[in-house]
Amino acid sequence: MISTEPLILLVEDDPADARLIQRAFEKAALGARVTRIPNGDDAVAYLAGHEPFDNRTSYPLPAVILLDIKLPRRSGFEVLSWLRSRRDGLQRIPVVMLTSSRHNVDVNRAYDLGANSYLTKPDTNEQLTKMLSTFDQYWMAYNEHPSLGVS
Amino acid sequence: MAPRYSITALRPPESALGSDRVFRYLVESVRDYAIFLLDPKGHVATWNPGAERIKQYTAGEIIGKHFSIFYPTADRDNGKPEMELTVATQTGRFEDEGWRLRKDGTRFWANVIIIRVNDEDGNQIGFGKITRDLTDRRLAEQRLRLLIESVEDYAIYSLDTNGNITSWNLGAERIKGYTANEIIGRHFSQFYTREDVAAGLPEHALEIASREGHYEREGWRVRKDGSKFWSNVVVTAIRDDEGSLVGFSKVTRDITDRKNLIDQLNQHARELELQIAEREQTNLELEAFSYSVSHDLRAPLRAIGGFSDALKEDYAEKLDQTGIGYVNEIIAAAGRMNQLVQDLLDYSRLGRAALGLQTVNVSQAVAKSLQQLGEDPASIAIEIDTRYAVLAHEATLVQVISNLISNAIKFHEKNAEPQVRIWGAVQPGGNTMRLSVRDNGIGIAAQHHERIFQVFERLHDRESFPGTGIGLAIVKRAIHRMDGAYGLESAVGQGSTFWIELPLYGRK
Repeated sequence: MISTEPLILLVEDDPADARLIQRAFEKAALGARVTRIPNGDDAVAYLAGHEPFDNRTSYPLPAVILLDIKLPRRSGFEVLSWLRSRRDGLQRIPVVMLTSSRHNVDVNRAYDLGANSYLTKPDTNEQLTKMLSTFDQYWMAYNEHPSLGVS
Repeated sequence: MAPRYSITALRPPESALGSDRVFRYLVESVRDYAIFLLDPKGHVATWNPGAERIKQYTAGEIIGKHFSIFYPTADRDNGKPEMELTVATQTGRFEDEGWRLRKDGTRFWANVIIIRVNDEDGNQIGFGKITRDLTDRRLAEQRLRLLIESVEDYAIYSLDTNGNITSWNLGAERIKGYTANEIIGRHFSQFYTREDVAAGLPEHALEIASREGHYEREGWRVRKDGSKFWSNVVVTAIRDDEGSLVGFSKVTRDITDRKNLIDQLNQHARELELQIAEREQTNLELEAFSYSVSHDLRAPLRAIGGFSDALKEDYAEKLDQTGIGYVNEIIAAAGRMNQLVQDLLDYSRLGRAALGLQTVNVSQAVAKSLQQLGEDPASIAIEIDTRYAVLAHEATLVQVISNLISNAIKFHEKNAEPQVRIWGAVQPGGNTMRLSVRDNGIGIAAQHHERIFQVFERLHDRESFPGTGIGLAIVKRAIHRMDGAYGLESAVGQGSTFWIELPLYGRK
């Protein structure tokens, strides 16, 4: 069955963090689907439509990407700069960094590479739920989404 | 051998000025030169005023006397006067410089020229003799030579055009170890190292000096005993009045001590640079470490806190009060640990990161601190001229003020409401501004005033007053890094006033 709900791609290697984030999305009872990808290589494969993600119907392009920085194999920065260097429309996908790093260097680098927003992981579930419902409201409800094909 | 110089009688050319009378008048008016004739045996035949002035004899006293009377005894005994006449007879001319005697027996340094005089048929009829008194010049030269010879700190010596040594002073002997007798006549390349000689340095020095007049370098030179010294060398070309090269003067200084000092300084500078590089490397490693700590150490904490929280929320009905209590302990501990890690990171970053200082408006910094703490500004008495600005790192100053305010709010008596007052004042002298934070809290005994600024120092148990024990250590380090001052006035039960001072940047 194919869902028509817009997709949030969560690139997060820490299963505990991923589970707490997914729980927070559930708690907030948000309409969006969340697909989790555990590392940078798979994120690139998913977005590029490579095996095993070559079926766009099963693996549709996301409306927004929640991207961690510290990832195995390929870091969030590498995924981001790969994405922004595309010229097939993929480069327009909004990217929101979601990380535990508050380092200025990381924040600046993320924006330099073309991140649309930078969020740090809150310390409590309550804060996390609050943050993700605001995120959902902004990026999924209010934000105007680009078309992702070549034009 | 035909005489190169000769005077054919003393007959001047036949011209208006050329009469014997005029010529004699000329000779007789000359006072700076003794000009007179000798007969073939060497007896004085004529005399002029110059001769009288220099040698002190009148014409009457001296004419007919043998000219050897002018020579010191030793020269006379050696037959020098006769030798001079022989040379003049054979070659036409004899020139010499040497001591001669006046009538009163005193010596003078004379330049003497003796010329063979022939008659019209080429037969010798006597000698002409011209003598100059060069005593003053001689003494001046001697003084200069003595001066040069007595200089000990500089090796001063001369070379001929080929680079062979022609004079040697005391300084040269002291510095290079050779006596004048040992070294005069030898080539100056002797003082160079084998490598420098192979590289053609001595020739190069003379070439530059003769082309440019002057050559100066520093380099290693070799003493007689084979030891080396670091020298400063100046070579100067010596030219005669016509501009022909006649030799070189060489002044050499032993500046080994200075060289060693400079080498040591350079060595220290290199070591310092190395240490700085190492420290920068260490800082980079620490940066990477703290990065990793903030990332990796806090991830499990988030999980502990997050899942405990989820447990409490999603399974509340399956837990009794004790169970809920345990879960609360876990949540609180994870929260404390998280705060601890955050504070330690802040503290260690303050020790390393360069703080770019700029003007910071003080009342705005206080407002930001209150916002960070989630405190209502209306609950705190604030008296700060809104125009005051200090030189500081803004985020760091905000953190410092936050720490002071949160302490002021935290440490109050159990049964009293916290009352916090913040005020700013320009210090006497007008260069710094003091920001004070006063509370009505429990106060701090004088013996603890120093200690509380140390990392992890706590005066109270956690149940009474929670905290990580890092807040004031951050204040201390931050203020130190911003070239400020800090302190407190407090006594038990009297409340506390913590203050910081920073350079005033004007009223903006």
